[in-house]
Amino acid sequence: MMIAALAFYVFAAILIASAAMVVSARNPVHSVLFLILAFFNAAALFLLAGAEFLAMILVIVYVGAVAVLFLFVVMMLDINFSQLREGFQRYAPVGATIGVVLLAELAIVLGGWKFAPGAASLRFAPRAEGVHNTAQLGQLIYTHYILLFQASGLVLLVAMIGAIVLTLRDKTSSRHQVIAQQIGRMAGDTLEMMDVRSGAGVRELGIIRPKPAPEPEVAAHDDHGHHGGGH
Amino acid sequence: MLYAVAVFAPLLGSVVAGFFGKAIGDRAAQAVTILCMLLASACGVASFVSLVYQGGTPGVVDLGTWVDAGSFHVSWALRYDTLSAVMVAMVTCVATLIHIYSVGYMSHDNSIARFFSYLSLFTFAMLMLVTADNLLQLFFGWEGVGLASYLLIGFWYEKPSACAAAMKAFIVNRIGDLGFAVGIALVFFTFGSIQFGDIFAAIGQHSADTYHVLGGTWPAFEVIGVLLFIGAMGKSAQLGLHVWLPDAMEGPTPVSALIHAATMVTAGVFLMARMSPLLDHAPGALAFVAVVGGSTALFAATIGCVQNDIKRVIAYSTCSQLGYMFVAAGVGAYQASIFHLLTHAFFKALLFMGAGSVIHAMSDEQDIRKMGGIWKKIPLTYTVMWIGSLALGGVYPFAGYFSKDAILEAAWASDSASGHYGFWCGLIAAFLTAFYSWRLLILTFHGKPRADHHTMEHVHESPAVMTVPLILLAIGAVVLGFLFRDQLLGEHWQAFWGQSIQIAADNHVLHAMEEVPGWVALAPSVLGFAGIALAYFMYMAVPSLPGQLASAFAPVYRFLLNKWYFDELYDAVLVRPLMALSRLLWQVGDATLIDGIPNGMASLTSDSSAQVVKVQTGSIANYAFAMLIGVVALISVFLIFR
Amino acid sequence: MGGAAMTWMSLNWTLALPEIVLSCCGMAILILGVVSRGNFFRLGCMLTVGAFLLTAMLVLSGANGVGYSGLFVTDAYSVFVKLLVLAAATLGVVMSLDYNEHENLRRFEFPVLMLFSTVGMMLMASATSLMTMYMGVELMSLSIYVLAAFARDELRSSEAGLKYFVLGSLASGLLLYGVSLIYGFTGSMDFALLAKALSDPASASPGLVVGIVFVLSGLALKVSAVPFHMWTPDVYEGAPTPVTAFMASAPKVAAMALLVRLMASPFGHLLAQWQQLIVLMSIASMLLGSLAAIGQRNFKRLMAYSSIGHMGYALIGLAAGTQAGVRGVLIYLVTYVFMNIGTFALIIAMRRRGRAVEGITDLAGLGRTDPAMALGLAVFMFSMAGIPPFSGFWGKYFIFTAAVQQGMWALAVIGVLTSVIGAFYYIRIIKVMYFDAPDEAFDVRPASLSFVAGVGGLFTTLFFLYPAPVVAAAEAAAKVLFG
Repeated sequence: MMIAALAFYVFAAILIASAAMVVSARNPVHSVLFLILAFFNAAALFLLAGAEFLAMILVIVYVGAVAVLFLFVVMMLDINFSQLREGFQRYAPVGATIGVVLLAELAIVLGGWKFAPGAASLRFAPRAEGVHNTAQLGQLIYTHYILLFQASGLVLLVAMIGAIVLTLRDKTSSRHQVIAQQIGRMAGDTLEMMDVRSGAGVRELGIIRPKPAPEPEVAAHDDHGHHGGGH
Repeated sequence: MLYAVAVFAPLLGSVVAGFFGKAIGDRAAQAVTILCMLLASACGVASFVSLVYQGGTPGVVDLGTWVDAGSFHVSWALRYDTLSAVMVAMVTCVATLIHIYSVGYMSHDNSIARFFSYLSLFTFAMLMLVTADNLLQLFFGWEGVGLASYLLIGFWYEKPSACAAAMKAFIVNRIGDLGFAVGIALVFFTFGSIQFGDIFAAIGQHSADTYHVLGGTWPAFEVIGVLLFIGAMGKSAQLGLHVWLPDAMEGPTPVSALIHAATMVTAGVFLMARMSPLLDHAPGALAFVAVVGGSTALFAATIGCVQNDIKRVIAYSTCSQLGYMFVAAGVGAYQASIFHLLTHAFFKALLFMGAGSVIHAMSDEQDIRKMGGIWKKIPLTYTVMWIGSLALGGVYPFAGYFSKDAILEAAWASDSASGHYGFWCGLIAAFLTAFYSWRLLILTFHGKPRADHHTMEHVHESPAVMTVPLILLAIGAVVLGFLFRDQLLGEHWQAFWGQSIQIAADNHVLHAMEEVPGWVALAPSVLGFAGIALAYFMYMAVPSLPGQLASAFAPVYRFLLNKWYFDELYDAVLVRPLMALSRLLWQVGDATLIDGIPNGMASLTSDSSAQVVKVQTGSIANYAFAMLIGVVALISVFLIFR
Repeated sequence: MGGAAMTWMSLNWTLALPEIVLSCCGMAILILGVVSRGNFFRLGCMLTVGAFLLTAMLVLSGANGVGYSGLFVTDAYSVFVKLLVLAAATLGVVMSLDYNEHENLRRFEFPVLMLFSTVGMMLMASATSLMTMYMGVELMSLSIYVLAAFARDELRSSEAGLKYFVLGSLASGLLLYGVSLIYGFTGSMDFALLAKALSDPASASPGLVVGIVFVLSGLALKVSAVPFHMWTPDVYEGAPTPVTAFMASAPKVAAMALLVRLMASPFGHLLAQWQQLIVLMSIASMLLGSLAAIGQRNFKRLMAYSSIGHMGYALIGLAAGTQAGVRGVLIYLVTYVFMNIGTFALIIAMRRRGRAVEGITDLAGLGRTDPAMALGLAVFMFSMAGIPPFSGFWGKYFIFTAAVQQGMWALAVIGVLTSVIGAFYYIRIIKVMYFDAPDEAFDVRPASLSFVAGVGGLFTTLFFLYPAPVVAAAEAAAKVLFG
């Protein structure tokens, strides 16, 4: 019990410290690295609370995917940090004042922490007996909270639509693959068997490449191809 | 049934003329509206006669449920009692004559259908107002006439002055309406109903009710009475909220005649009479009504003496006459106020339409200093203007004599301080009324012609379509007084009014006014003649005198000419500070303060793209800060005031 | 297997049938748009409108009850709000038809985003848990962020989208923080359980109320109540006009309805605690809405301030904290939606030689160049100013009477005073239209806009003749929260 409490305070302290470093580090790459550290510590806290599935998900998804993506973006973008810092310093006094007032108020409020009567009975049991963590989560997410799960799906769908709508552009100059056209092509369309006399030149035989005649049908296909590829 | 036809026929006319005016043409639109009005007036008069003279039973014509929400029930219904029937008959008759007159007056205008549609719409709204069976419906009509009046004052929207006047009328009326709306809310709050029947039936139970607001105790009826009167002040242009009425003369003259003389402005007086059962238990509110009424009567009369626009003079006289009506209401003689309302409607419409005829004749000239010497050329107009002025001045046996005398006698007989104040104001106003009426007559019709040669050549009598209504109104202005005096105010007034005007048991004004001292009855006539004599002396006998007087008493003259500086006062006290405040709030509040809290970034409204980018990064942070400050402020408020 | 089936049935999933059907329709339209050849925008809009109508029918015919383990409820209140939201969204989609063609925004994602946003709003209307509430808010907002930036090549529009997104995220943060505080203090997010846990106001700790303040702040941004209104003018001005119209109507309804349900139902016993905050926000919104609007030159910006003011009035009804007050809010929202959408339809119709104009001075002389449009705009302005007999007056009337019944005189008086000040700028527009020298005429108005403006105008004008059905429905809806 003692060790668990000790571990909790250690992880929590590191978590808060690294979170503070995320916003205060001078180098944004360091910020992201501290963020990763914060995720790890949060995962450890989850483990302590008995939510091992969540802890693993946090590590895999947030550290493995999201934070690494962050790192890429930060390293690829050319951000003028001194300019950002300037804004930070300008806003610092006001921000600090608000922050201090808010903190003071929250301290007053949380100092008087008091549960509503009957709150304890309402709280979800953290661990039901006989069902392991993952199964329990599954039951919650896919049965109990199916509505919220589906709604999250819609939110993600909207996010995807939004990203596409706001960034994807149909460029008329880009060339798209038209698979139907590709596989519908017959050998006869492109290959021509010629009788070549020995010693005769290409011009003499009338073989000119590329073929000069335009093909209207193909052009029409191209149009559709652009559109279809656009989405 | 006839009654409902009288109310809804104008609506039909208005709708047809308004929506199909273009399709059916001006002629047809005129014909439809006038036919509808004729039908309405026939039905209106018939229902009045059948109620009062053929022993019809008063009642309520139910039209359907309107709002039904919880404890709040209102239905569309027409109230059929003497007060409403009198008003319906009067409104439909006068409005019909004005419709007919407008055919001639507006013949050169290019949106005739629109004009007639508005005119009929106005009539309908006014009828809704006077036939309302509950305060909400009355308020509906009340706002309806306000809207129609706004449309009609601004009818010639090409004129900037007309637009300004329309706006002014609208805004000033809104202030009054505010009082009225709060008054209605209080009535509902007190009585739990806004049906007149329920309210009047419950008067006795609530007469001792009080409100506890602002650390004081206020008698319920007094508060309601004063609030309702504030509404009436706006609509009836009483002192303080009168500023819109003279400006409203920017509308076409038939509009002035219909709305700003005969009907709409009397809505306030009607409201007082309608709410008489309640007001009679609110002596304080009544005293206030009488004092404001008396002051207005005097105040407007003084201004009327120096105005030079023919319509403005009559407008101020309207203001003044409305003051009389409120004096009567304020001393508890509601019958007398309605009587004066009735006679006034006829002679004031007559005066306005006569003035319209003069303006028509003088090629749209309205300044009486540029008229004169035309009485031989337009004898008929001249005659009716005389009749109108005689009635207005209160000369026996014209209609105004009876009603005005009745009011002054009642004011004296009420034997209260406010009544006496009203009496003396009214008495002086009677003198001034006679003076400015004859000043108008003399300057307009007599003396040497002061218009240019070209205009004088074109002076002509108006066509029959305009003169016939004038003649009919003139007959009304002559006979209405002695025809109705005894029925409305005499010993048997209760037989005439039925239950429509209920007064408190201790209200004996009508009885007492028959026994006032002789000089009280005589004084108005004597002062009236003195006023006429003075006007004759100043403008006929010694025409140089007015100019000398004006320069000798220049400050007084300027004071009166500028209408006691009311507009300037409002501009300085209300309009400008409000504008400044709004500018301040916009610039300081949103543009400077919030944008500039951290660093004074670029202003919000810049539109060059470079600046937009700058604002973009800047203002998101600013906005976010503002939000956080808001959160902190809300939490602080909660923690401090918990 | 049997146990799982039991759970599945006990979810009562058919309650959310309208939402499910609407979402499926949205995804179907999306797929059709992707695979179709040629421009799918117009057809997509039509299908979306059809989906809305279908959903409205399902909403009307659905049963009442609580489902999804207490996360979701269907009652008279949610039905009222959903129908209003669907009506607003339908008109919003119709409005965008021609505007998007003109402005080169004809992409089928537009109606689809509106559709998903509407799903979010319907979730909000039915939310009986703080989590459902949050999901609904996010789904609604995310779609609107994208819509606001839809004209991505225009700086103003992308700026609007970004601004709204950043501030909206901040608000979501506040909301979630508040939710976690509330959960921490009571141990539940379910409205019914919260109400039970908080039934004794004396035992509510300050921390809990601070949590409520945070949640209130997050939602206040969505209804743009002062001091969380800052984004409104910029975003309204920058976003494409149909999006502004949509933003100013449906989401406002949903957010206000959610706020009312939240405050009245789980936190109803704490009325004394949050009432003063709502009163403050209401007064500040009314004052700012009426005063700051006076100086505006841009019509869309003016409408932004106007909507801030209107939300201030609606908050009065909430501050009253009674059934009559909630009824007032609902009626107010109905009247607001119709006059607002109508006004925006006419703003979209302000187009000269193919270019959209937004200045108030551009309306000069409209009374002569286009009398029908001027009449419509005049009706809406009169109604917004609260002048009888137009519907706007009735909204204010029910709100003010509710406040007066609770003895909140100061609030009612301030409301009336600000509405008088507000009348000034509404009537200035009428003055510009009828009394100023005419400018060049606007382009011919497309039928779709005339339709929307006509619907709004007829409702606004004729509401007073027969308000009984709306009032009765609002009464029934309000009764649910206090029943």
